[in-house]
Amino acid sequence: MIEKEIVVNSDAGVHARPAMMIVREAMKYSCEVTLIKDNVEADGKSIMSVLGLAIISGSKIIVRAKGEGEDEVVDYIVNLIEKGFSA
Amino acid sequence: MSNVKVRYFIEGSGRIDLQLRLIAGENGIDKEILSGEMNRPGLALAGFFDFFAYNRIQIFGQGECAFLDRMPENEKERVYFDFFKYDILCCIFTHDYKPDNLFLKFAEEKRIPVFTTRRGTTRFITLLVHVIDEVFSETKTLHATLVDVFGIGVLLMGKSGVGKSETALELVERGHRLVADDMVIVRKLDESLLMGAGTELLKHHIEIRGIGIINVREIFGIRSVRNRKRIELAVTLEEWNSGKEYDRLGLDENIFSVMDIDVPFITIPVRPGRNIPVIIETAALNQRLKKMGINSARELDEKIKKWIITEGKK
Repeated sequence: MIEKEIVVNSDAGVHARPAMMIVREAMKYSCEVTLIKDNVEADGKSIMSVLGLAIISGSKIIVRAKGEGEDEVVDYIVNLIEKGFSA
Repeated sequence: MSNVKVRYFIEGSGRIDLQLRLIAGENGIDKEILSGEMNRPGLALAGFFDFFAYNRIQIFGQGECAFLDRMPENEKERVYFDFFKYDILCCIFTHDYKPDNLFLKFAEEKRIPVFTTRRGTTRFITLLVHVIDEVFSETKTLHATLVDVFGIGVLLMGKSGVGKSETALELVERGHRLVADDMVIVRKLDESLLMGAGTELLKHHIEIRGIGIINVREIFGIRSVRNRKRIELAVTLEEWNSGKEYDRLGLDENIFSVMDIDVPFITIPVRPGRNIPVIIETAALNQRLKKMGINSARELDEKIKKWIITEGKK
């Protein structure tokens, strides 16, 4: 299992399109992908679940993966968030 | 920590309507409720401030109100000054009583919300206890979908992509009600009651691959949704695994435990050609039957055992 903590900086937060970008990437891997905000865990492969976290600019989140490809998927998502979803 | 603000008392939707009207101190409405306890401030008004539980919700019943009414005007300034020296959470007057303007002026200055309710004191306190119990109840967020099937709250779990949302959609089509898709907030309301609801933000929306996000309430109408439901059956959908033994008899009860509360639990294997919604409807009905004391599997088993004994004697 691997996890990284990151603060979301994009002004618009994680609305529908950024959520989709996260989910689309997570779906490529067979491993479990979890996003955590304020101790609430969301399935990184579910749009509704990610949107449900209500991630706004300044939110501190943890990206966690467990299983095959865990390093890559966490790196990709963290990078996506760092770049403000302008991939 | 509850993170619940005084605002919740007037805005909490889908819950008990406390019938509160804000009459002063709107600027203090975002104060956090740290304790759900209440206090009748009669002694404090009379000038006795030892053990004054100021950080609790102050309830002014008929006694307190009569006391305020009889107080000579020239004393009010001093009494209110002393009273409002404390950082009071909020004041609630019952029986639709409205305190005098001086009281409201102090409350406004000190940012202390003042409410009035048409309800009587005892009845109001009973309702407030319910609301507060909910605020301070333990919660857990589950990656699951919750549907009310024939009055049984069925929690659908399983990996993403297994078809939870599609199953929920089909159940809605068949006249059942969606509570929440993909994210369920579960509250432990007492030692045996788990209440599930969706998040306020995503309420009644569902994501269906190929279509995208849809609003179930708008498409299927108000009868297709509900805001919360007691969880009485947990179902895991999983892809058919030929190496795994699935329950064929239903004699043993499996349990899914959430915050130390046990919920009957079944695993349904998904395979093309299996009509999952019908299976879930049947599981829900079977659960209702069990609640009424009828266990089909056990009864059939008893019948067979009896038959074996009588046949053996022939």
